[in-house]
Amino acid sequence: MAAFDARWMERWQTLVNQDGVTKIIGRHLSADVLMEFGDAVYVVSFVNGTLARVAQNIGPETTYDFALRGPRDTWGKFIQPVPPPMYNDIWAMAHPLHGRLKIEGNVKVMWQNLRAFTWTLDLMRNVKE
Amino acid sequence: MAKIEPITGRYIYVPYEGEDYRVYYEEGGQGIPLVCLHTAGTDSREWRHQLCDPDINRNFRVIALDLPRHGKSIPPKGWWKEEYKLTAKFYSEFLMAFCRELGLDKPVIMGSSMGGNICLHLALNFANEVRSLIAIEACDYSPGWWLDWLWNPHMHGGEVAATSVYGLMAPQSPLEYRQETWWYYAQGGPGIFKGDLYFYSVDHDFRESCSKLNGTVPIYFMTGVYDFACTPEMTEQTAEKVKGSECIIMEEIGHFPMSENPVTFKKYLMPVLAKVLQSR
Repeated sequence: MAAFDARWMERWQTLVNQDGVTKIIGRHLSADVLMEFGDAVYVVSFVNGTLARVAQNIGPETTYDFALRGPRDTWGKFIQPVPPPMYNDIWAMAHPLHGRLKIEGNVKVMWQNLRAFTWTLDLMRNVKE
Repeated sequence: MAKIEPITGRYIYVPYEGEDYRVYYEEGGQGIPLVCLHTAGTDSREWRHQLCDPDINRNFRVIALDLPRHGKSIPPKGWWKEEYKLTAKFYSEFLMAFCRELGLDKPVIMGSSMGGNICLHLALNFANEVRSLIAIEACDYSPGWWLDWLWNPHMHGGEVAATSVYGLMAPQSPLEYRQETWWYYAQGGPGIFKGDLYFYSVDHDFRESCSKLNGTVPIYFMTGVYDFACTPEMTEQTAEKVKGSECIIMEEIGHFPMSENPVTFKKYLMPVLAKVLQSR
């Protein structure tokens, strides 16, 4: 298993769904999010705070609400147990001053759910490879 | 025996441009006045550790105010008739009006983020009224934060404001203090964080003015390595242009040193305060 492969994503999904804080702050988080880790691409579907599906096989009929697109190296720093400066947060990486991550699509949904969504992403640092 | 902190809070009326602003402030300690400025959208609670630190209180009268519209300082009359946009003019002039009304003799001004950026304007326009400036997480230009998402009825403004700044804090800072800082941010009034960011990212463009500072007032720039809004490089580049300034880069800390990690911040702050004392 390596970071961002299907098994790694499955373990992250389990962590999210077992997490007590996500259950509290994420109950209104429902969104399909395209996550691009370099050449590894998924659509992850949150339903009322549960990470219900992680879909591969992205194609012309794939729909999603918003997308986070970044190189594998950027995401690799983000998931380090102690991420380096400028890589510890998606807004840090996506801020116009830095541009290491692209956030596209209906970003309003992301801002509406920013607290719960970023909390679940932080759980990636707890995935055991 | 009750555990009571040696901080007192009071209200003062500050006259400014025909309005009497009811301003809340807290203070602790005795000595050289040290006026502390909160970051955008929050209030003086960010300074609660420094307000009652005996090592600081020994030589400094630490004062932290809530700007109008923040914390316990109510907005001016008719506030609902205009969109709030903080300007360098109001911020600097109002701050000095507060210091005069309180009878402070050449205070040290210490602020973080927008409170750091305003120090440059104070150096330019009020050099004779201040002793030293401690500009934390400050630089001459900090774009990219005046965003509509931060004031939009389709989302919870407090949660959005607080989460947008959460990543500005270092992972090494205690989770409890990072969450406490988040909590302060979640309590700002509607549109106040965004209105403050008008100053932070739009009205504050000091790039052409740094060279006008003549070095009369010592300026200590202090920036944490995890600050992605005002990076160490942005502060260093500003400090290079400002006469009489010193630049201190702080490891393992972010944009809110005083509240996210008061222990680490103190290690960097005490030597600066010692220099302020020596220059008395």
